Amino acid sequence: MSSFTIPIGPQHPALPEPILLKLEVEGEYVVGVDVDISYMHRGIEKAMEYRNYIQNIYLAERICGICNVAHTVCYTLNVEKLYDKEIPPRAQYLRVIIEELNRIHSHLLWLGVAGHEIGFETLFMYVWRDRERVMDLIETITGNRVNTAYTTIGGVRRDITSDIEYKIRKTMDIVEERTKYYKSVAAAEPTIIARTKDIGILKTIDAINLCAVGPLLRASNVKNDVRADAPYAAHDEVPFNVITYPYCDVFSRILVRVDEIFECINMIRYCLDHLPKGPIRIKLPLKPPKGEAVTRVEAPRGELLHYVLSDGSEKPYRYKVRTPTLANIPSLCRMLTSSGDYIVKIADVPIAYASIDPCLCCTGRVQIVDIEKNKKWIWSWEELKEYSKKEFKKS
Amino acid sequence: MNDEEILNKLREVFKEKIIESSIPRKNIVNIVVPKEFYKEVIKFIVENFNIPHIQTITGIDMGNEIQIIAHLGRSITINVRTYIDKNNPQIDTITDIIPGASFYEREVYDLLGVNFIGHPNLKRVILPENWPKGVYPLRKEYKPEHPKPLRGV
Repeated sequence: MSSFTIPIGPQHPALPEPILLKLEVEGEYVVGVDVDISYMHRGIEKAMEYRNYIQNIYLAERICGICNVAHTVCYTLNVEKLYDKEIPPRAQYLRVIIEELNRIHSHLLWLGVAGHEIGFETLFMYVWRDRERVMDLIETITGNRVNTAYTTIGGVRRDITSDIEYKIRKTMDIVEERTKYYKSVAAAEPTIIARTKDIGILKTIDAINLCAVGPLLRASNVKNDVRADAPYAAHDEVPFNVITYPYCDVFSRILVRVDEIFECINMIRYCLDHLPKGPIRIKLPLKPPKGEAVTRVEAPRGELLHYVLSDGSEKPYRYKVRTPTLANIPSLCRMLTSSGDYIVKIADVPIAYASIDPCLCCTGRVQIVDIEKNKKWIWSWEELKEYSKKEFKKS
Repeated sequence: MNDEEILNKLREVFKEKIIESSIPRKNIVNIVVPKEFYKEVIKFIVENFNIPHIQTITGIDMGNEIQIIAHLGRSITINVRTYIDKNNPQIDTITDIIPGASFYEREVYDLLGVNFIGHPNLKRVILPENWPKGVYPLRKEYKPEHPKPLRGV
């Protein structure tokens, strides 16, 4: 059978961020994929070379709106390594709290989006309502919902009071109870199982060889987490379990993320119980000494890497960021390509794509090109989703 | 294996091929090698220490030369560093050893103009299609234009 190419994107798939997936299809089956991620380059690495270290905190957190805390924590830890000074333990604990709150909100957001992709709108509405509680909590602690700039070079900006501590504990109880319910839904609801089981398979060996990171890797049964392997901030003192599931499919990724929410809740409780006394910030000079540093943190989407080279001036000579989504794109290509007895249908592309929790920045249309007949037509994302649901009902 | 054992093993095997080596912080190993041995060293690390993971590849414009750093490892970070001539930036690809390195090499190719010899699909990945050829934004001679205000023209 001759194959033809279906471009999905750039103005769209799954999440509102621009990526172009050029799918090579034979009939209903996807046999090859080419990815174009060039639509969101903002030149942040170059822009950082023109700003001083304090200004760069605000630039770093704007790399990603959803996992902004992971970026500020990584940035500040990285720059602090240049100074070689001890950071107050209370600040490190507060960083863990805000980071784990960020992870809870990101995983809940993803669970809602996954429900939306498979046509399970009720789950989407429920989950996003509970995510709002976490967002309110972040606002109470930091003063802002999204771009919080909570961590700064030398510590954190605000302390938590006993009043806020009480609010955190109360919200955590509610979120834990709700997440238990979502887990029971996700693990038993026939719609979810039918749309996610054995879809988007990434075998353990492929995940390791293609250097996958984060929940994607853990869902392929590899016990790997930067917080456990190379602890940063206060993670060497805060106990937690690395969640893995052996099914290697989208279902497995849902379970990993839901279970991670419970771990996050427990870590936040542990941090509140063991919060050290003392200052929350030390003052550091604007110009760090010469040197370089590499820092990795576990962002909600996986291993995030920041690299800095300082020449002794108030601006970095070179700043490099590697986000987890870039690391997972080779795995995405493998996941979307049929090989042997593993078959990928066009209808499974949206959820398989969403399962890596991509964070590029996408919305709206799919252009289908039939090379043989030389015809073009455009599908909106809604139409593609309807088509996907129809195909599913048929089988 | 801990960081010191890894460094000692590398020193023992590659001897004078390693120009410089150090452990600046716990669980970070830095080595500098000439570009001829860059691929050989990475192959040795992947095969002997059971580290099939690459974190990323960083390219830095150092003036007359470009510095390439391959960050390898899951729990211990091994930074394999090499310097290449800026006028003729060429280096062997490591995609055949670590398939996950493909996109990182394309990124360095795109932003710094380094040619990775033997890469199966060395195409533009980060910059838009209409970006002029031969202009590499992360090189120091590239100065970004300040955006002009929309009003008052």
